[in-house]
Amino acid sequence: MTAEVWMGYLVDHCPDFTVVQSPFVLGDERVFGADSDATTLSIAAVLHRLQHENVASVAVPEGIDADALSTACNIQVWDKESESEPDWDLLLSEEAILVLARPGAEVEISVMDVAVEVDQAFHEAIVAAWEMELNVLHVSQGAYVSQAQYVEAASPRLSLSGQMGRNGAVWPPRYSANTSQKENGVHRLTPSGRVLSWTTLSAAGAPSEFSLRAPLLGGVSTVLLELVDGPNGVFLVVDDEEPELSMDAPMELVVRRIYAQEGFIRYGLKARAIPA
Amino acid sequence: MLPMVALVMVDVAVVGAGQTRYGNHDLGLKGMWAEAARSAFASVDGDFDAKMVDEAYIGSLAFGGAQLGNTAALLTEHSDMEGLPVRRVENACASSGFAFRDAWMAIKSGQADVVVAGGIEKMNDLTPERRRYWLGVSGDTEWERLAGLTFPGTYALMARRYFHEFDATHDDLVHVSVKNHLHGSLNPLAHIQKEVAFEKAASGFMVADPLTLYDCCPTSDGASCVVLAADHVAKRMTDTPVWVRGSGAASDHLALHDRPSITQLKATQTAGRKAYEMANLTPRDIDLAEVHDCFTIAEVLATEDLGFAQRGEGGRFAREGQGIINQGSVAVNASGGLKSKGHPLGATGTGQVVEVFKQLRGQVESQRQVKGAEVGLTHNVGGSGATCAVHVFGRDRT
Repeated sequence: MTAEVWMGYLVDHCPDFTVVQSPFVLGDERVFGADSDATTLSIAAVLHRLQHENVASVAVPEGIDADALSTACNIQVWDKESESEPDWDLLLSEEAILVLARPGAEVEISVMDVAVEVDQAFHEAIVAAWEMELNVLHVSQGAYVSQAQYVEAASPRLSLSGQMGRNGAVWPPRYSANTSQKENGVHRLTPSGRVLSWTTLSAAGAPSEFSLRAPLLGGVSTVLLELVDGPNGVFLVVDDEEPELSMDAPMELVVRRIYAQEGFIRYGLKARAIPA
Repeated sequence: MLPMVALVMVDVAVVGAGQTRYGNHDLGLKGMWAEAARSAFASVDGDFDAKMVDEAYIGSLAFGGAQLGNTAALLTEHSDMEGLPVRRVENACASSGFAFRDAWMAIKSGQADVVVAGGIEKMNDLTPERRRYWLGVSGDTEWERLAGLTFPGTYALMARRYFHEFDATHDDLVHVSVKNHLHGSLNPLAHIQKEVAFEKAASGFMVADPLTLYDCCPTSDGASCVVLAADHVAKRMTDTPVWVRGSGAASDHLALHDRPSITQLKATQTAGRKAYEMANLTPRDIDLAEVHDCFTIAEVLATEDLGFAQRGEGGRFAREGQGIINQGSVAVNASGGLKSKGHPLGATGTGQVVEVFKQLRGQVESQRQVKGAEVGLTHNVGGSGATCAVHVFGRDRT
């Protein structure tokens, strides 16, 4: 079938289920891109579903970061201890394919017509780098953002939640009096903007958090975006696409892995070119 | 009725200044500091002893964490200043620019007569991995660092935007690099004492597109030290004091994305304006300026923000060689600047004062001497412009 591309993934939307697949293949098998995993696919699935209907609660299996999903999509994760049933189940596959389905729905996974072949050596090196980075004994020399500090800012980082100040939207949120959340409330910004500037840091110049993967990726690229709601922000470019960056080019923000430290993956919004 | 109190504002002079050579040092923190302090104390040509010092302010990021706490107490032990009230001043790369300002204020307030300001950083004893960690701790860690940025990346964003907004290209940055290498080649205290050809600087290894290796300052070890004195004691210490005519400082949003414009540094503009106003001088009065060229684009922006060039004209200023010693309108980075003299983070601010002190007293190498220099300026920036200290110095007191 002809695939719909959504946040860099392939989506098949049906009344009772949504299938999200990675566009990348190795032989006959779908594999994750360089900074994607089941959590980022699940976020894309739920955000796609939310375009069509409310998603009240989702049962999340092991292997998906439930907190990241909940924060990025602003939804409830189903509590196993609760007496009610979940509205939706997330179903994992052996491959980089994920299904969001109503409980008991009959799911049919279509063959998508997009398949980007990845280099086997590159893919294996990236997988190995993430495994090393995820080892609890791996403590990079990166400027330390603790898990608690990451969690505190998870909402603005994953769902672009900001504030509405007297002079317009404010992001990231502030603690100063004229932009307090209590006074002005949380304001979710539109996850897209235009390029004000960009750079690609060589692997040698990249922050040490990225030292295992930057040499494989040929460095790391960062854009300064003017978000459509007004504020500016700096974002990594997604690892598995190489957009031609230019001034004023429109880009959208999608959730991807940023880096891992002490066995914990930090997710965040990254920029990808908006398809013409 | 309250008694009448005559308030007499004291003037402050620099009476001594010295530094280590910048570069890869065999000496550690204590040894480098002792060398810089000895050099500064020896440069005081009149009545002076380290026991006369009332206070000391030492700027350092404490790069590498080797002596993160109580740095100043440890260092002053090794420079005959035991028992003084001392402290480390930290404002990233502007640490000793602010240490100098604090020292100036201590005298200006009447609480001290003789004060030492200095700075130090040991950077080359770390593994490359650990060094990259410390090089990126002064940005907005939570947002910039997690977006893949270290300072080469941050300044690269500024450079690309500058090229977009104004009539400038990377070639203009190359001119800055070539000039500062030329000046540094004449400075025996510089980290990199060699000239670089335009073609070579234009085609360097790409560090952060569009900035190449020749747009970036080196990673340096070094220490610098300055002795400041109140006017009533300065005259006993030297016949040729260098007067602090103006001091200005400011801060700005730490993160680049929070600033309305990334092609100007508001903190520099504010600090510069305050310093000029206090000195009752204008940019046209400045004979030499040591500006914070951690990256070549930073010098282009500084020449505009400090008023040597109009906004958007910094590229042309560099292209026309306006900052070359004894050639242009003002000698910019006669020492070689951070680009060539080197950038031992915490030492840089007072290291700039060392250069201006010697230039105004006619004590640098003849090829590097700015002829007839009467007024000099130092410009020390923290991070990508979150903090800035500007000082104006003169051979004349007013």
